[in-house]
Amino acid sequence: MKLLQNSGVPIYQQIADQLKEDILAGKYKDGEYLPSIRGLAQDLKISVITTMKAYELLQNEGLVTAMQGKGYYVNAQDSEMLREQHMRKVEEALLEALHAAKVAGLTREELFEILQALCAMSEE
Amino acid sequence: MEIENTVVCGEKIKKAYKGFLLDVESLRLPKGFATALIGENGAGKTTLLNLMAGLRLDYKGSFTYFDEKLGIDDKGVKEKIGYTGPAHFFMPHWSVRQVAEANELLFEGFDKKKFYEIADALCIPVGNVKNVKSLSEGNKTKLMLATVLARETKLLILDEPVSTLDPLMRDRFCELMRRYISDGDGEKSVFFSTHDIADMEGITDYAIIMEKGKILERGFVEDLKEKYILVKGEESDYSALSKWLIGGSCTKYGFSGLLLSEDLERLSGHNAVAETPSLHQICISVMKQNSPLKMI
Repeated sequence: MKLLQNSGVPIYQQIADQLKEDILAGKYKDGEYLPSIRGLAQDLKISVITTMKAYELLQNEGLVTAMQGKGYYVNAQDSEMLREQHMRKVEEALLEALHAAKVAGLTREELFEILQALCAMSEE
Repeated sequence: MEIENTVVCGEKIKKAYKGFLLDVESLRLPKGFATALIGENGAGKTTLLNLMAGLRLDYKGSFTYFDEKLGIDDKGVKEKIGYTGPAHFFMPHWSVRQVAEANELLFEGFDKKKFYEIADALCIPVGNVKNVKSLSEGNKTKLMLATVLARETKLLILDEPVSTLDPLMRDRFCELMRRYISDGDGEKSVFFSTHDIADMEGITDYAIIMEKGKILERGFVEDLKEKYILVKGEESDYSALSKWLIGGSCTKYGFSGLLLSEDLERLSGHNAVAETPSLHQICISVMKQNSPLKMI
């Protein structure tokens, strides 16, 4: 896990994001426990409260469940939700592209052309 | 976040010296975490730590330990607390070996083998010095740490543990504390005072800021970072905003200061930017706001 000190993104957010990616990518199986809060804090060289906050974020998003005294386990990821999560990622990335296109003064047609060209390239 | 379980709980703690009064209405240290005690020279940090560690008993109020169940004189409580302080508690003419022997006599849980392992790992010159007196200040601190880490404790009360340590050893100290907390899996806690907030931020879960014998601010670090924001802006906006700023200061190139997040709307209409403060910035601003120190 790579944590950046001066990226402007809070450390707990960075941890939550990276764990979320791992969970969605299936690196953690359903019911599998995440590393213990204090163990992870030790390995990442950060305070316990920061890891705790990261896990709470994941819990609020419904990705993990807290078990009193045992830690956090990964919830079963239903395919609908997975799709939803990935859709949101696509939308975010496209919005960013739209914004950049606006700054660059691209027309809608030019934008579509770029997207089509990129689609064609990635299919090859 | 609320504190669920406490490792130490203080009620109505009062201790008066000439010209100084420690007055802490209530104090709760979270169990399983590292808590930092921060404040100016003479704020009462050492007094508070001494009372808590049971080094002084002449005070009003009460401390309870380990989930509010036990008092300092109850069986096993002192055995479970490890204390290090700035006034070195070894006899100056003792050798390192005598220090180990004394600890073995005093504490049941003292593991002599572990002590020498730690002393070796921390490069304390065990055999090369005649007595403890001739150790450097940093090595004296390391020696004290080695004696408490060689015991089976549940709480470490450390008064200025890193002030004499070099940057690398501070980093190593943070590692040791993280491992201590991690090994305890929620049962081991650390309470330390420090002036080196920036160096210690990476192990601080809960912070208490003191001034003139009273607690000014306290909370889990992540909560404090949401409670306050760090604001920077143009000099021309300073007079309008200074009323809301905590520990604000201004030069002709602009101002900076802390603002309560709930006061964020005060910034509208002004040319100012906000960012998340570090623990160091929070402490400095809160202390500055309440300090009698003046610019000369």
